[in-house]
Amino acid sequence: MRKIIELKNVSKSFDGQKVLDNVSLDIYDNEFLTLLGPSGCGKTTTLRIIAGFETPDAGSLFFLGEDIASLPPHRRSVNTVFQRYALFPHLNVFENIAFPLRVKKLPQDEIREKVSEMLRLVALTGFERRSVSSLSGGQQQRVAIARALVSRPKVLLLDEPLAALDLKLRKDMQQELKAIQKATGVTFVFVTHDQEEALSMSDTVVVMSEGKIQQIGTPIDIYNEPRNAFVADFIGESNILSGVMLRDRLVRFSGRDFDCVDFGFDPNEPVDVVVRPEDVDIVPAESGQLRGTVTSVTFLGVYYEIIVDIDGFKWMIQTTDFVDVDEHIGLKIDPDAIHIMDKSEYSGMFGDYSSFSEEYDELSQAESGAEA
Amino acid sequence: MKPAAKVYTALIMLFLFAPIAILLVFSFNSAKSLSVMQGFSLYWYRELFRDAETLSTVRNTLILALAASAVSTVMGTAAAVGIFRLRSRALRAACDTVTNIPMINPDIITGISLMLMFVFVGRLFGAATSLNFWTMLIAHITFCLPYVILQVLPKLQQMDSSLPEAAMDLGCTPFRAFLKVEIPEIMPGIVTGAIMAFTLSLDDFVISYFTAGNGFQTLPIRIYNMTKKTVTPKMYALSTIIFFTILALLIMTNLIDTGPGVERRSRRTDDGAAAPAPEAPSGQRSRGHIAALIGAVLAVFIIGIIIVGRPKKPVLNVYNWGEYISDGSEDSFDAIQGFEDWYLENYGHEVELNYTTFASNEDMYAKISSGAVSYDVIVPSDYMVARMRSEGLLLPLDYENIPNAANIGESFRGLYYDPDDAYSVPYTFNFTGIIYDANQVDEADTGDWELLWNPKYRGRLLQFNNSRDAFGTAQFRLGLDVNSEDPASWRAALDALKQQQPLIKSYVMDEVYNMMESGEAAACVYYAGDYFIMADAQAPGVDLRFYAPEPTNYFVDAFCIPTCCQNKELAEAFINYMLEYEPAVANAEYICYGCPNRLVYEDETYADDMGEDAMAILYPGLDAFHERYEQTAFRNLPPDVLNMINSLWEELKIN
Amino acid sequence: MKERDGLRLARRLALAPYGLWSLLFIVVPLGFVAYYAFTDNDFAFTTANIARFFTATSESDGVVTHTYLLIFWRSLKLAVISTLLCLLMGYPIAFILSRASARTQKILITLIMIPMWMNFLIRTYAWMTILQDTGILNSLLRALHLRPVHIIGTETAVIIGMVYDYFPYMILPIYSVMAKMDLKLEEAARDLGCDSFGVLRRVIFPLSLPGVISGITMVLIPSISTFYISQKLGNGKFYLIGDAIEGQYVANNLHFAAAIAFILMVILLIGMALMQRYANSRAAA
Repeated sequence: MRKIIELKNVSKSFDGQKVLDNVSLDIYDNEFLTLLGPSGCGKTTTLRIIAGFETPDAGSLFFLGEDIASLPPHRRSVNTVFQRYALFPHLNVFENIAFPLRVKKLPQDEIREKVSEMLRLVALTGFERRSVSSLSGGQQQRVAIARALVSRPKVLLLDEPLAALDLKLRKDMQQELKAIQKATGVTFVFVTHDQEEALSMSDTVVVMSEGKIQQIGTPIDIYNEPRNAFVADFIGESNILSGVMLRDRLVRFSGRDFDCVDFGFDPNEPVDVVVRPEDVDIVPAESGQLRGTVTSVTFLGVYYEIIVDIDGFKWMIQTTDFVDVDEHIGLKIDPDAIHIMDKSEYSGMFGDYSSFSEEYDELSQAESGAEA
Repeated sequence: MKPAAKVYTALIMLFLFAPIAILLVFSFNSAKSLSVMQGFSLYWYRELFRDAETLSTVRNTLILALAASAVSTVMGTAAAVGIFRLRSRALRAACDTVTNIPMINPDIITGISLMLMFVFVGRLFGAATSLNFWTMLIAHITFCLPYVILQVLPKLQQMDSSLPEAAMDLGCTPFRAFLKVEIPEIMPGIVTGAIMAFTLSLDDFVISYFTAGNGFQTLPIRIYNMTKKTVTPKMYALSTIIFFTILALLIMTNLIDTGPGVERRSRRTDDGAAAPAPEAPSGQRSRGHIAALIGAVLAVFIIGIIIVGRPKKPVLNVYNWGEYISDGSEDSFDAIQGFEDWYLENYGHEVELNYTTFASNEDMYAKISSGAVSYDVIVPSDYMVARMRSEGLLLPLDYENIPNAANIGESFRGLYYDPDDAYSVPYTFNFTGIIYDANQVDEADTGDWELLWNPKYRGRLLQFNNSRDAFGTAQFRLGLDVNSEDPASWRAALDALKQQQPLIKSYVMDEVYNMMESGEAAACVYYAGDYFIMADAQAPGVDLRFYAPEPTNYFVDAFCIPTCCQNKELAEAFINYMLEYEPAVANAEYICYGCPNRLVYEDETYADDMGEDAMAILYPGLDAFHERYEQTAFRNLPPDVLNMINSLWEELKIN
Repeated sequence: MKERDGLRLARRLALAPYGLWSLLFIVVPLGFVAYYAFTDNDFAFTTANIARFFTATSESDGVVTHTYLLIFWRSLKLAVISTLLCLLMGYPIAFILSRASARTQKILITLIMIPMWMNFLIRTYAWMTILQDTGILNSLLRALHLRPVHIIGTETAVIIGMVYDYFPYMILPIYSVMAKMDLKLEEAARDLGCDSFGVLRRVIFPLSLPGVISGITMVLIPSISTFYISQKLGNGKFYLIGDAIEGQYVANNLHFAAAIAFILMVILLIGMALMQRYANSRAAA
C-alpha cells in the first residue's frame, strides 16, 4: 500500500493551549481511516491541518512524499466534507457540485457530465435545480459529498459528517459512505466521537485524547487489545481494575488471583486489568470467583445491564440472565476474557461504574457532538 | 394588527408625511410664497429646469453622494473583513472605538475638526485652496464609513465560517473564495450599507457646510445660502421631484425583488423534469450581479472624477450672495450664461463661470481669510470691503480692463470704504426701512423707528437676525453712532434691544418673506428692495407698505477681487460685463435694490418696469446719497469691538 | 510559507486603508480641535478659550447668568425632551412594526425612511409653513372653530422640528432588535405567569435595550448640536450650543469655536460611556 499522507511530530497550540502534541500518523491509499476521540482531543485540528486550514507550529506534513505544510488549501488535492456541510446558499445543487469545476474553468459539457455522474453516485439525479436550503439533512449531506468528490481528490476529509442526522438516517449513511468509498477508491479520513460508527466503518481507527494519539489499529485490535485505560473505556464498556502481574499468565486483582493469557511483564508489576461486561458470567454466589450484591438492573432489550458491588468497586455486567436487585451473586471470568495493560496516565480514571447513570452518558455525548 | 395599533400607526404616518404633503402642494403654487397658496401652476417646475445653478448643485450632490458611498462601501467592506479576522483583542477594541467616533460625535464637531485640519495643512503647504471637492469627498467618506462597517460586520459574523474554507478546499484561492462565496453571503449587508451611506451623504448639510470649498456647492448649502433672499417654491418643486423619483425607485426595486422569487417557485414545480441542462446557471448570474454592481460603482466614480476634474476651459469662480444675480429664473435674463456668451464673442475663447453663494459677509470672510478657498470675484458689503482691504485680502483693480466702470454714477464714487475706488466697483446700494401691513398697523404709528418698540404690536414685530443690523435699529432710534467704539454706547443699544425683545415675534432673515406676505407679522425692518418682492406675493387681506425712518443705514455691495484670485484678467472681464447695459438692468430688476449704474437708473424702460413708487423709494435723491451714505454706513470696527458686539448679541439671544 | 504569509498579509491589507483613513481623518482632526481649543490666534498655548466657556457671564435685569453654561443647559434640555418624545412615540411603533406581517413591515419601514430622503433643510422649512400663526395648522383649527395656537418661535416648535427630523433614527434601531426577538420568549413569559405588561417589562424591554440605547444616541447627538432647526423654527430666539459654535466660526473666532466643540465632545463622550456602562450592567444583570 502506498503511503499518501504522513504527519511527522506535528504540534499545534491555540492561545497557548496545546491542541496537538507531537502527533505522527501515516495514511495509506484506499484506506478508510477514522480519527476517534472525545471533543477537544485534537481530531478536528488534525483534519484541518491536513486540509490546510491550520498550519502546524512544529513538525511536518507530507503528501506523497512532498512537504505540503505551507501549501494553501486550494493547492492540495484533498477535499473536505464539513460538519454542517457548508453548502453555498446562493447556489443551487448543480452549481454547488459544479463549483470546483468552474473554479478550474472546465468546459460546460465536461462540467455537466461530471456533475451528473456525481449526482448518480449520491442518488440525487433530478435535484439539479433545487435550492440547497430546500433539501433535507441527508440530501444536503450527499450534495456535500458529491461536491467534495467531483474533482477526484486523492483524499476526502470528513468532519463529523453524520453528527447532525438522526439515528436511522445515520445508519443508512454509514453504509452509503462505505459504499462510496469502495466505489471511488478514494482515501477517506473520517472524524467522529462515536465509537460504534468508527468501529463499523473503518479500516483503521486512530484513538486520540488530549492532543495525543492513544492507539492506532484495526477496529478488532482496538477493541480486543486496548493499549491503556482511556482506550479501553472509550471503546465499548470496560471494567478496569488496578492489579498486579504476579508472573506470566497470573494476575491478582480484587483480592484474588486469576489465570490469564498475557505475559511478558516484570514479576509483581502493577498493571491495569480490563474485563468487558459481556465477558463476565453470572454464577451462584458460592461458585463465583468474585462475590457481590446487585445494586441496579436495567433492561436493554437484548440483554440486561446490571451493576454489581464487589467490595466497593462497581462492576458492569451484560447478561441475558435475569437477576434481582439486592441479590447476592457470584462472577466467573475466563482467562481469555482478562486483558492486561501497562499502567498509564489514565489509570484509575475510568472503569468503575459507581457514578454511572444513563443520563450522564447521554449528556456527555451531546456535549461532544455539539463541540467537535 | 389590532385597531388601536392601526390608529396609532396612521397618526405616526400623518406626522411623518404632513410636511411632505405641504411641500407637494406648495410646489404647485402660482405665487412666490411658501405660506400663501394662490393658485395651481407648474410655473416653479419650469423655473427649476431653467435654473442651471440649482441643477448643477443637484448634480454635484449626486456625484458627491455616489462617489462617497462607492468609496466608503468598498473601503468599509474591506475594513469589516479585516476587523472580522483580527485575532488581537486590543486591536479589535481600537477599531471599534475609532469606528464609533464619527457616530457618537455630533456632525458639527466632525465638520469643524476636518475643516480645522484641512485649513491648517493647506496653509502649511501654501496651497491656494485647501477646501475643495476632494476635502468634501473625504469628509463624506469619513462619516459614511462606520455605517457601512456596522452593516457588513454582523453579516460576516452570521456567516458559517466553513463556507470560505469549503471554497478554498474546492480549489479557490483565498481571494476568489472571498469573491465567490463570502461576498454573495454578505451582499445584503453591503447593499444596505451602500444605501445608508448614499442617503446620509445626500442629506448632509452640517459637515458639508464646514468643509465645502471652491466652486463645488451641494444642494443643502445652496438652500442654506438663500437666507438673505427667499427660499422659493422652486426648491419645493425639486423636493417633489426627488420624492416621486424615490417612490418610483422603491416600487421598482420591490418588483425586481419579487420577480426572481416567482421564477424560483415555478422552477421548483418542474423539479425532476427530464434533462438537467442548466443553460444559465445561477452561479454565473450572481457573479454577473456582483460584477455589474462593482462596474457601475466604478463607472460612476470615474465619470464623477471626469466631471469634477475636467480641465478644458478656464474657470471663473464667482462668490456672491444667494439670489443676488439675474440667473434666468422667472423669465429673467440669464447673466451667467450671458457672460459666457459675451466672453466667447469678445475674447474668442470659451470660459466657464462657476457661481457659488454665501449667506453673510462674515460667512464669506471666514472662508476667504482661512485661505481655504480661492475665488476670483466676490461681492462683499462696504464695511467688509474696508476690512478686507485693510487686511490686504484684496487686489487693486486694473481699470484698463474695466472700461465700463465709467458707467458708475458720480454719487457712488470715492465712498469711505475705498476712497480711490482702487479695489472695488459698486454693484448695488440700498438701505434698511420698515415694511408694515396697513391692515394691522395704524398709519399714525408709522414714520420712525418707534414702531418697532410700540407695545401695541407685541408679538407681531420682526427684528433682524444679524447683530450689526439689529443693533443699528436701536442705535438709530437712540441717536447713537452705529460705528462707535465705546462699549457703553453698545450696551445702551443692547438694553434697547432687550427692552424690545418681549415685543418681537421672531428674529429673521429670509423667513421675513413668509411672515410678512401671510400677514403673520405686522411690521418688520428689512432692506428696502425686498419690500417689492414681498408686496408682489402678499396674501389677500394683507396690505404691505414701506417707509424709511430717519436716519437709516445705507449700504453698498461691491465687486472686489480677492488676493486668492487665480485669473485676474478674467475676473476684471466679468466685472466689466456686469456693468454693461443688459446684464446691469436685468440684475437691478431681479434684485430690486438700487443700482449705481447710470445706464440703469437713467433708463426709461427700467423706470417703467419698476414703477414710479419703486423708483421713488429706491432713488430718493441721488445728489444727497453721498452725504447720507457717509453718515449712516456701517464702518469696519476693530476686532475687540466686533468681539464685544458678538458677546452682546449672544447675551441678547440667550434670554 | 510564502503563500500563507501572503494570505495573512492580504487580510491585514484589507484593513490597512481604513486604518490609515480613520487615523488621518478621524483621530488627527480631533487632535486639531484640541489644538485649536488650547491655543490663541498666534497658536500660543492658552486655556483662555476653555475658561471663557465656563466663566463668561451676561447680565439682564440685574440677574447674572453664565452665558455658555446657560446655552449648554438649554441645548441639553431641548435635546433630552426631544429624545424622550422620540422614544415614547417610537417605541410603540417599533413594536407594532416588528409584530406586523412581513409585507406590512416592509411597506411601513419604507414609508418611515422616505422623509429621510427629502432634504432636511426643506423639511424644516415645510414645518414653518405648518406651524406659523397663519399657517396650515391654525387655518385648520380656525376652520373647526377652535382656538388657534401659537407655536412658532416657542420651545415646542424647536422640539417638534427635532423630533420630526430625527424620529426615524429612533424607530429603526429599536425595530431591528425587536424584529429579531424570538416570539417563543414572549410565549414562555406568558406561560410562566406574566400578563401583557409583565411581558413588556420583564422580557421585551430588557431585550430591546441595545436598540433603545442606540436610538437614544442617534437622536440625542444630532439634536443637541443642531443649529438650523433652532434658527428656523425657534424664530432665532433659541440660541443653542450649535448656534454658538457656528456663530463663533462665522465671526472667525476659530479657536473659541474649537473650544466649545471640544467641551461638547468631552461631555458627550463621558455621557455615552456612562450610558454604555449602565446598559452593560443591565445586560449582565
